[in-house]
Amino acid sequence: MKSKLLMILIVAILLVIDMPSVLAQEMTKEQWQQEMSQFTAKRNDLKSKLDKLNADIKSLQDQSQKLDGDLQACMDEKLELLGVTQAEYDAFFEELARYESRVSELMKMSDEELLKYRQEVENMNKRVAEMAKHKIAMVPRQGDRIKRLQENIASLMLTLGKSKTYTVGTWAKDRDCLWNIAKKKDIYNNAWLWPKIWQGNRDKIKNPDVIKPKWVLKIPHGTELTKEEKSAANSYYKKKAAPPAAPGQ
Amino acid sequence: MLKLNSRIITMVAVVAFSASLFFMGCTSRPSEDELRQLNDLKAEVASLEKQIADKEKEKANLENEVAEKNAKLQQCQSDMDAVKKALGQ
Repeated sequence: MKSKLLMILIVAILLVIDMPSVLAQEMTKEQWQQEMSQFTAKRNDLKSKLDKLNADIKSLQDQSQKLDGDLQACMDEKLELLGVTQAEYDAFFEELARYESRVSELMKMSDEELLKYRQEVENMNKRVAEMAKHKIAMVPRQGDRIKRLQENIASLMLTLGKSKTYTVGTWAKDRDCLWNIAKKKDIYNNAWLWPKIWQGNRDKIKNPDVIKPKWVLKIPHGTELTKEEKSAANSYYKKKAAPPAAPGQ
Repeated sequence: MLKLNSRIITMVAVVAFSASLFFMGCTSRPSEDELRQLNDLKAEVASLEKQIADKEKEKANLENEVAEKNAKLQQCQSDMDAVKKALGQ
């Protein structure tokens, strides 16, 4: 009995010693062999793929470098044709971009707000007109940008022209009448254009000989009388020339 | 005598059984070295896959860069042609 128990104990000890190594090695040799082949083939395939990618990348880097050289050569030739330096070329575009941004801001303003910037718009108009004559404007994309900018500035000028106003002073101090107002340099600089002010303010001015102090008169845009303004002026002059009606008639 | 025989038989059975356990672990399984070899190979494959993913991104970026530069060069050449035409050259 004792010896049997001893035998059982020996077997149990041997099992405990051996079990971990038995459990750890779930993979058979055959399975190991298969996985080794599979992963070796995959590794080799990936290595060739990596080699090809490296070659492609090197080729692209060379292409990129060559293009840098070609682009610089093209720019140099273009600058020579235009007769400007790179710094002058860049400065031209910076100035153009500034005007584009500023005009965009001004176009969002109300008419009243825009009036404060009349001088700025007039200065921009002159400067952009000069830029349009520069050789750089021959480059189609830049010429198109300048053209669009000029159109936008023209639209601002139109708005400013329509929005001009004049506040009537007194006869005693300012000698303000439609004739004298039209004569002013910052209005029309031409007294004969007084009918424009009259016709542009028919809601206020019933009789062109009568304007009142503190009236804010709109100054319509233009350098000539329209057909309607001429007609109104002619009617006025005829009335003035007609002899006064006899009393009782 | 009979008792001795049964003891011997029992002992032989025990030894044989234990030995079979040992040999089961040794002959049809890969060694520790071989298992390590397999793990190293798997790690190498994983590393190669990551390298390839990175290189593919790099290649795609370079392709975009080259395309952009080509477009700029064409634009520059087109501008030059327009200026030469405007200057009557």
